[in-house]
Amino acid sequence: MLSTFRLSLIAAVALLVTGCANNSPTLGSKNISYGDTKAVETVTNEFGSTDLQMIAESMTRSLAQSGTLQGRPVVQVYDVKNKTSEYIDTREITTSIKTQLMKSGTARFASDNTDMQSQVDQLKLQNQSGLYKPSTVSKTGNMVAAKYRLEGSISSIVKRSSDYKDVFYKFSLQLIDVESGIAEWMDEKEIRKTTER
Amino acid sequence: MRHTIFGLIALVLLAGCATPPPPAPGSAASKVVAMGDLKNIDIGPMRVARENGFMTVNVSLRNTSSYNKTLYYRFAWLGSDGFPVAEPETWKSLTLYGSQSSFLPAIAPVPKASDFRLEVKTP
Repeated sequence: MLSTFRLSLIAAVALLVTGCANNSPTLGSKNISYGDTKAVETVTNEFGSTDLQMIAESMTRSLAQSGTLQGRPVVQVYDVKNKTSEYIDTREITTSIKTQLMKSGTARFASDNTDMQSQVDQLKLQNQSGLYKPSTVSKTGNMVAAKYRLEGSISSIVKRSSDYKDVFYKFSLQLIDVESGIAEWMDEKEIRKTTER
Repeated sequence: MRHTIFGLIALVLLAGCATPPPPAPGSAASKVVAMGDLKNIDIGPMRVARENGFMTVNVSLRNTSSYNKTLYYRFAWLGSDGFPVAEPETWKSLTLYGSQSSFLPAIAPVPKASDFRLEVKTP
């Protein structure tokens, strides 16, 4: 009788232990979680991830579909001018635009202002240091010049009242033919965000 | 008489349980993936074209309520095999004023997109 009771007790304990076993592939606090990077973010009405993603998406598709970029031309991308009153990492906007245009297969990109120094340094190292096998050295004077330059700016109008804060962003982008100086394509994306207090 | 009434009630109940037929393949309704019930938003005809090698879509929408309504949406771009050809898009928010009709334009991110789905959700 006693052994049956012990066996039942052991079985019950084993069941409880296995029931509590954590088989979830997670570690750490339950207060931290990964979210959807594509969700509509409305935490505050400052420039946010959804604004960046919407701008890059809208501009890239408009430019790719415009038919201006025939034959995958080389494009030089300049930093987007931030004319707003807040800090915006505009390099991330241009990086997203470049990435999406590259994925669409419509353009190639020349080294931009920040990449140029690394490019020149690497060419100098290969050609002047004498460290490399001559047949593998990239020759100088063969860099491809850009046919177009891509320039943009972002500006904002902020209005506040006792009940509302309204932010209006306007992002403009234009593609200019380097030789002629003519703007071949332009587009704008407007975003309005309002907070009711 | 009693049998007839019972029969009619059973018929009505059965008809109530019947699921609506799935939308015809290729129809506008077959392109819409609603996450839950769409409250007061009516999705109408769609215009699909190919411009400069990229698929373009324009979807007509109507707010059936007299109040302003918000719609969350995004497009998924598919290849000929029915699988996505690009990264998922970011969700976007659209406000429709009371009884407003509007259009939702979209351009595929890559030329190889040949089909699409419109994911929609109302708050």
